[in-house]
Amino acid sequence: MSTLATDAAPSLGADLGRIVGAPNVETRPAALVPYRTDATFGFSGIPWAVVRPGDTEEVSRVLRFANDRGIPVVPRGAGTSLAAGAVPTHGGIVLALTRMNRIASINPIDLTAVVQPGVTTQDLARAVAEHRLYYPPDPGSQRVSTLGGNVATNAGGLHGLKYGNTAGYVLGVEAVLADGQVIRAGGQLLKDVAGFDLVRLLTGSEGALAVLTELTLALRPAPATRTTGLAYFADLKAASNAVRGVVAAGILPATLEFLDAKCIRAVEDYAQLGLDTDAGAMLLFGDDGSAAEVERTVAEIADLMREFGATSAQVATAAAESEALLSARRCALPALSRLGGATMLEDVGVPRSLLPELVRRIDEIADESGATVATFGHAGDGNAHPVGCFDPGDHEQRSRVAAAFDDIFAAAVELGGTITGEHGVGAAKLPYLEAQLGSAQMALLARIKQAFDPVGILNPGKLGS
Amino acid sequence: MSAGDIFDAEELGTCISCGFCLPSCPTYKLTGDEASSPRGRIALMRAIDHGEVDVFDVAAREQGSFCLGCRACEPVCPAGVPYGNLIEDLRNAQWKGRRRPLRIRPLLSFADRGRLIRLAGRLRRHARFSPPSASPATAPEGSDEILMLGCFERSLFPAVSRAAAATLPGIEVPQDQGCCGALHAHNGDVERGEELARRLADRPGRIVSTAGGCAAHIAAVAGRDRVVDYSEALLDRGSLPGPILIDGRPARIGLQDSCHLRNGMGVSAEPRKVISALGAYVEVPGAGDCCGAAGTYALLRRKDSRRVVAPKIAALAVLDLDFLVVVNPGCQRQMIGVLRRARLRARVVHLAELVALAAAEAEAP
Ligand SMILES: Cc1cc2nc3c(=O)[nH]c(=O)nc-3n(C[C@H](O)[C@H](O)[C@H](O)COP(=O)(O)OP(=O)(O)OC[C@H]3O[C@@H](n4cnc5c(N)ncnc54)[C@H](O)[C@@H]3O)c2cc1C
Ligand code: SF4
Ligand code: SF4
Repeated sequence: MSTLATDAAPSLGADLGRIVGAPNVETRPAALVPYRTDATFGFSGIPWAVVRPGDTEEVSRVLRFANDRGIPVVPRGAGTSLAAGAVPTHGGIVLALTRMNRIASINPIDLTAVVQPGVTTQDLARAVAEHRLYYPPDPGSQRVSTLGGNVATNAGGLHGLKYGNTAGYVLGVEAVLADGQVIRAGGQLLKDVAGFDLVRLLTGSEGALAVLTELTLALRPAPATRTTGLAYFADLKAASNAVRGVVAAGILPATLEFLDAKCIRAVEDYAQLGLDTDAGAMLLFGDDGSAAEVERTVAEIADLMREFGATSAQVATAAAESEALLSARRCALPALSRLGGATMLEDVGVPRSLLPELVRRIDEIADESGATVATFGHAGDGNAHPVGCFDPGDHEQRSRVAAAFDDIFAAAVELGGTITGEHGVGAAKLPYLEAQLGSAQMALLARIKQAFDPVGILNPGKLGS
Repeated sequence: MSAGDIFDAEELGTCISCGFCLPSCPTYKLTGDEASSPRGRIALMRAIDHGEVDVFDVAAREQGSFCLGCRACEPVCPAGVPYGNLIEDLRNAQWKGRRRPLRIRPLLSFADRGRLIRLAGRLRRHARFSPPSASPATAPEGSDEILMLGCFERSLFPAVSRAAAATLPGIEVPQDQGCCGALHAHNGDVERGEELARRLADRPGRIVSTAGGCAAHIAAVAGRDRVVDYSEALLDRGSLPGPILIDGRPARIGLQDSCHLRNGMGVSAEPRKVISALGAYVEVPGAGDCCGAAGTYALLRRKDSRRVVAPKIAALAVLDLDFLVVVNPGCQRQMIGVLRRARLRARVVHLAELVALAAAEAEAP
C-alpha cells in the first residue's frame, strides 16, 4: 500500500471536509470498514477516506484535489459489484455517490429520464411506471444497485434477450474527468454523430475513465401485460437445448432464465414458492406486450418446452405469481450461500447456440474438481453464472473452486466466449483479461485510460491499469 | 470475553455482502452511509471478530447504538442472516456493566426486580373482570394459553393488559410472571434476557403476547410454536365483533406494525385481518417501517428516533384516521407522542383495546 496512507491521513479528512462538508467525510478506521469490500468474495482494500459529494461541483473539486496529490479515487454506487470493481485495492478515497439520488426529470414525449448516478435502479423503474413508462434493464441487484453503477458496468438484467442491456438505454452522460473537468456527451438527441462515441465508451468503463454525475436514459412505453412461466428439465443441458429450440422457432421472449438443481433448492429454501426441488433444472420464461399476444407467445413457449423434453411446463396465472417467480430468480445468488457460506461466482458468456456445450463443460469441470458448483444464468443471452460454494475457512475447498474456475474461463474463451458477460472486469477478472483480448488490445486500453486519466488516480488496479 | 468470542461464527459467516438489505434499513435511508447499513454493521462486526477494530472503538459503539434493532433487514435477506442475534451480541459486548448507557440502567433493574411484579399483581385483579357477554371470542376447545403481560405495558398501558384478558376469555393470567427479558437482550445483557425468557417458557401451554418485542424474544428462546401474538390468538377463536361506527359510518382505522412482530415473528397479515372486521381498514404508507420507538431507542437517541418517524407524520396527515392501531407498547408510546405533536386527531390504541371497544359497542343497546 502506498505511503500516502499515513502521510495524507492527518489532514485528508479536514481538506475533504472543506469541499463536501465535514459530515460527508469519514476517516475513522472503524467507520471505513464497510467501504473495504463490495459484494465480491475475497477482495478488500483499506480506504483512507470516504467522501459523499452532493453535486457535480463537489465531485469535480474532490477529483482536482486528489489528482493534484496523486491520491487514488474509487467511485462507488451501492457496492454490489461482483468483480471487485468498487474495492479500493490501492487505498485512497472512496467516492460514494449515493447522496446524489435525485431523478431530475422524466419526459414522456422524448421517452427519457435524467437522473443523478445514485438513484437506484428500482426507484427509477417505479417512478417511470407511474407515467406508464418502462426502464427495462433490471439486474438481479436492482433493489439496491445504482444507475451510475449500472452504466459504469453496462449491467444486464432478466429481460436482456428482448430488450438488451444497459448500454442500449444510455443516451447521454455528464462526467467528471480525473483532473476535475466536466464534460457532457450525448443527450436527448436521437441522432448525434459529433465526435467519437464517448457515451458508449464511458458505458462499462468501470470508474476507470471518469466519474458519471448525470445520466440521460431512454425509456419505453410500459407493456400492457407481463406473464411468466416455468418449465422443469432433467438437467441443465436439456434446458439449454430447449432455449435453442425456442429461439430457432423464431420467438424472442423477454425472459429466459435458467437455474440448476442446487439453485432451485436454495431459492425454494428462501422463498418457499413450491418449486419442484427434485427437478434437475428449471427454465423461467416470460414475455410482455398486449394481453392476447403475450398469452399466445407464452403458451407457444410452454409447448416448445414440452417438445424439447421439459418434464412439465406451466404458465403463471396471476401477476403476483409472475413477480414472485422473477424475484426468486433475482435471489438465486445470495440464497446459494445457504449451501456453504462463501460463494465465488463466474460470469462467462458464449454465443447462445453454444450454451449447451458451455454448460456441459462446466458440469464436467465441476465433477472432476470435486468442487460444489451451482449454475444459474441468463439462458437467452448465453450468459451463465457458475457459483462455487464453500466454507470460507476451508482452504482446500476454496482452492478446488478456484482451480475449477480457471478451467471454466479457459473453456469459455475457447468457445469464442467471454470471461465476463455483465459483471465487469474489476480487480477480480483483470488477470484473465489478456487471455481474451490479446496484448495489442490491452495496450490500447491502457492508452485510452492514459488519455482520460494521465496521473492514474481513477480506480487503479482495474481496467486500463 | 475476547473479540473472537462475541459472535457466533456461523451466524456471522452467513452474510455474503449482496447488499439486498440496504434499502430496507431505516438508518441507511437516513444517512446514505454504508456504515449505518446492515451489511456495513456486519462488516464492522467481522472486523471486531478478527481483532482489527476494538469493540469499544467510538465509531463502532456509535453504530451499535445507532442501529434501531428493528430487524427490517432480516426478512429481505436471501441468505438468512440472523441479524437480530448479531446486534444483540454486539451490544452485549459493548454495553456490559458500566458501559451500559446510563439512561436505561434504571429501566433494566426496574424490570428485573419485584416491583413490577407486585404492580402486576394489582393490575391482574382488574384484569380478572368478567368479559362482556357479547364477547367476540370463546376459548378454543382444550386450549392451554397463558397471557404474558409486557413490563412496559403493565406500567404504561395497564388498560391494554385488561383489554387483552377480557377479549380472550378462558386465558390464564399467571400471578407470578416476571419480565420476559427482551429488554435485557436488546440492551446488552443477552444472558439475563435468555434466563428470564426461559423461566416463562418453562410453564406449560401456549404463550400469548400483546407486545411484538416480547413475543419475538420469547420465540427466539422457546421456539416460535410456543408463542402467538394476540391477533393470532384472537383469530384462532373464530368470531370477531362487528364494526365500530362513528356517525353511522365504519371507523377509519390504520395500523403501525411492530418491527419485531413483523420481522421477527412474521406476523403482519393477522392484525390487518382483525382490523378489517372492526372498521374500514386503511393501509398507512410505510406501516411496516420502524416508528423509531425501537425499545429503548426513543429514550437513548431521541433526535434520531424523531428523524426515523418523520416520514410517517406526513403520510398520516393526509389519511384522516379515527384510530391508529399499534401492537406493541413501545410503538404505542411513540405514536401517541408523534400524533400529539403533529396535532393529528387519530386516537392511538392497542389492537386489544380496539377489540374491547368493538365488543362493548356490540353489547350496548
Ligand atoms: C445478488 C446480485 C445480483 C446481481 N445481478 C446482476 C445482474 O443480473 N446483471 C448484472 O449485470 N450485474 C448483476 N450484479 C452485479 C452488480 O449489481 C452490478 O454490476 C451493478 O450494476 C453495480 O451497481 P452498484 O451501484 O452497486 O455499483 P458498484 O458496485 O458500487 O460499482 C460498480 C463499478 O462501477 C463504478 N461506478 C459506480 N458508480 C459510478 C459512477 N457514478 N461513475 C463512475 N463509475 C462508477 C465503480 O467504480 C465500480 O467499478 C449483481 C450483484 C448482486 C450482488
Ligand atoms: S441481505 Fe443478507 S447476505 Fe445480503 S448483505 Fe444483507 S445481511 Fe448480508
Ligand atoms: S435492525 Fe433495523 S436499523 Fe438495524 S441494521 Fe437492521 S434494518 Fe437497519
